Amino acid sequence: MRWLFIFAGCLLLNLGVFAEKLEYHKVYTPQEGMSAEEIMKIMYHNKYSLFARDYQQTGEVLYVDPSGFTRKRVWKRQRIVKAGQEGISYKDLVVMTYPTELKGLAVLTWTYEDPQKDQNVWLWIPSLKKVRKISASEDDDAFMGSDFTVEEVSTRRFEDESYKLIGSKNFPGYKFEHTGEVKFKDKPCFVVECTPLKPHWYYSKRIVWIDKDTGGNIFEEYYDKNGKLFKTLFREWVWTDLGDKKYPTQISLECKDLRTNHRTVILMKDTEYDQGLSEYDFTVKALMRSRW
Amino acid sequence: MKKALFLALLFLGGNLWAKPINENLEYAGYLKTEFWLKNYNDESHLSLSSFKNTFDLEVEYKLSENWTFFFHPRFFYDFAYGLREDFNSNFDRNQFKMGHTQRTEWLRDCYLDFTSDKLDIRIGKQQVVWGQADGLPFLDRVMPFDLTYYWLPDFADIRIPLWMIKVEYSPEINSTLQFLLIPDFEASRSAPANAPFSFKGVNSFHRVKKIMEANGGSMSTTIYRPPKEFKNSRVGLRWRSMIGELEYTLNWLYGYSTSAYTYLDQTIITGGPIPGLGMPKGNYYYSRRHKLMHLIGFSFNKSFVNPGLFEGWTLRGEFAYFHNEPAYYGTDGNRKRTERTDKYTYVLGFDKTFFTNWVFSLQFAQFIHDKKTFGGYQVLNSYTYGLLDKVENYLTLKVSTDFMHERLKPEVLIVYNDDNDGRISFKAKYELRDNLWFTLGYHHFWGPLRGSNGQFRNNDHLVLEAKYTF
Repeated sequence: MRWLFIFAGCLLLNLGVFAEKLEYHKVYTPQEGMSAEEIMKIMYHNKYSLFARDYQQTGEVLYVDPSGFTRKRVWKRQRIVKAGQEGISYKDLVVMTYPTELKGLAVLTWTYEDPQKDQNVWLWIPSLKKVRKISASEDDDAFMGSDFTVEEVSTRRFEDESYKLIGSKNFPGYKFEHTGEVKFKDKPCFVVECTPLKPHWYYSKRIVWIDKDTGGNIFEEYYDKNGKLFKTLFREWVWTDLGDKKYPTQISLECKDLRTNHRTVILMKDTEYDQGLSEYDFTVKALMRSRW
Repeated sequence: MKKALFLALLFLGGNLWAKPINENLEYAGYLKTEFWLKNYNDESHLSLSSFKNTFDLEVEYKLSENWTFFFHPRFFYDFAYGLREDFNSNFDRNQFKMGHTQRTEWLRDCYLDFTSDKLDIRIGKQQVVWGQADGLPFLDRVMPFDLTYYWLPDFADIRIPLWMIKVEYSPEINSTLQFLLIPDFEASRSAPANAPFSFKGVNSFHRVKKIMEANGGSMSTTIYRPPKEFKNSRVGLRWRSMIGELEYTLNWLYGYSTSAYTYLDQTIITGGPIPGLGMPKGNYYYSRRHKLMHLIGFSFNKSFVNPGLFEGWTLRGEFAYFHNEPAYYGTDGNRKRTERTDKYTYVLGFDKTFFTNWVFSLQFAQFIHDKKTFGGYQVLNSYTYGLLDKVENYLTLKVSTDFMHERLKPEVLIVYNDDNDGRISFKAKYELRDNLWFTLGYHHFWGPLRGSNGQFRNNDHLVLEAKYTF
């Protein structure tokens, strides 16, 4: 009986929080009966790893053209979650390590809690050996030249769209072209229709499949203003077991542009959470340490 | 002192190098071939200015959590100078030193890094960059410059690295005090006479000297560098901090100017005026000297991140005051005096991304001489000896974008001066494979004959580059 109360208490606490903001440094998962908004808040919370205090990982991006010709980028990303201190949600440092021509290119980004505020961005430019404050990228610009847009990777917020819950369905599975594997077949999901609030945006709506287990957005379909599907985006979410706790983690992404048949694959590895990263590593001084 | 720094670096490095070379070693580099083709000039319609081949290697060895050693050699050989007898007799022997790596220039970086939360120390040969401006070295005056290809190469390649100690202390998270001690000294350099980008002042002096010598006179130049003593070290301080979202720096630099200035020390007249020269026959003794000077400045930047009219804009700026830096005075094309004066410069930059991925960067700058005239002579452009206004205005615009999933990256830079002097530099970079990149560039100059850019108005260049990286 005691466990039932604890479980019910946790559930109520979990649900109660959704009316407002989710707390930092806590893991949330979607529950039956939640609204589309509640589910999407959890999705964003997980997407930006706001449950952790910090994390780091290596990312490999593959640009694959229709002929199969592939180019590669490798980066190392570190993030510290500021949890709203001084209005900052989190700070990111991304350093390119491959190819050599881009090696050393580093971007320091501060993302604010206020969804109306743009990011503050500093760039270390190896060819100038200097730090340059730059304007935040346009949200609909390609992220590092990939098929993802900037907002799909790093700037889209909960407040940018309106939501409608379509229902609960089992995911039909996605053939991950990079390996040929079919992923997440029959995975129980919530299906949410998201409509951008910005007028004349690059998509008119997207259909998002949210994994009931991890709360991750495992599949997205993008529709243009004529209602035609033009892009799909797959994300592989898994649990990372840290012993006393476990965190939802993206380990691979694949974005396909159905108009050009170009696709981008992102493979993430060596993800580590809560390593006690220092905030001093997310400063302009740290950016200026770059040697390449 | 330079040797002492090098030995200290070896000693420290040697002591810390107690572990076997393993995954802590990282390296990268490239082989690059570039062609500079002069589009048209007074003598020929197309000529090969440069056929330069470069080998560059960067090695990083992480000695421990806090200590890292970085080593960066670079060698080049320009075959255009080897070909000069066969290909184009216009090459001058004076330019030969531009044909391959000179002295210790092969060593671009060689330093030991100590990093921690509050304290960073970098000891060795390195570059230090100040300022917020693109392509305008107003506050960015810690390092000397190699202007043998004018301001056209990347700035990291234009700056001449120096042996120094750089200490950065952060009393709080976003505030840093930087201290520089620079015992090493290198002079900024320009191309020798008759090189593709030699300054008009250099060419004029060379021409006059030849005529003088042909008529039995002489013109000699003695170069005085600051004595290599510790007391002659340059020192610098920079405070960087933030007020809200406004980031600012306060800068101070004291020491010998890296630019040498020409003085006429003695003249012994031995004959009458030389026809066509306007100077009497004689023995002229010149010197090139570096003078002690102060630089005081500040810089700032702010991105407008809140919704509103300026959302998405980044504003940058810097101001520099040069105290006691020499300047040339004379008549148009003729340097008569070299006098110390004060100079003020500032630049304001405005950046924004439009149309999804077109980055526009506009800069407005002014260069102000405290004294427009001296002894009846007007202040001169130190590159060309052309007349300068008290206030020189500059506008620059850089536009860059990308296509084909960032495979093709074009950019254009326009530099414009209020005397209708300027240049357009276009560059397009194409990634064939991860490790193979091609660049096509074109530099177009216009302006008055003695303008900074106008002096190269018959000197447009097409640049082709292939780069293999590893």
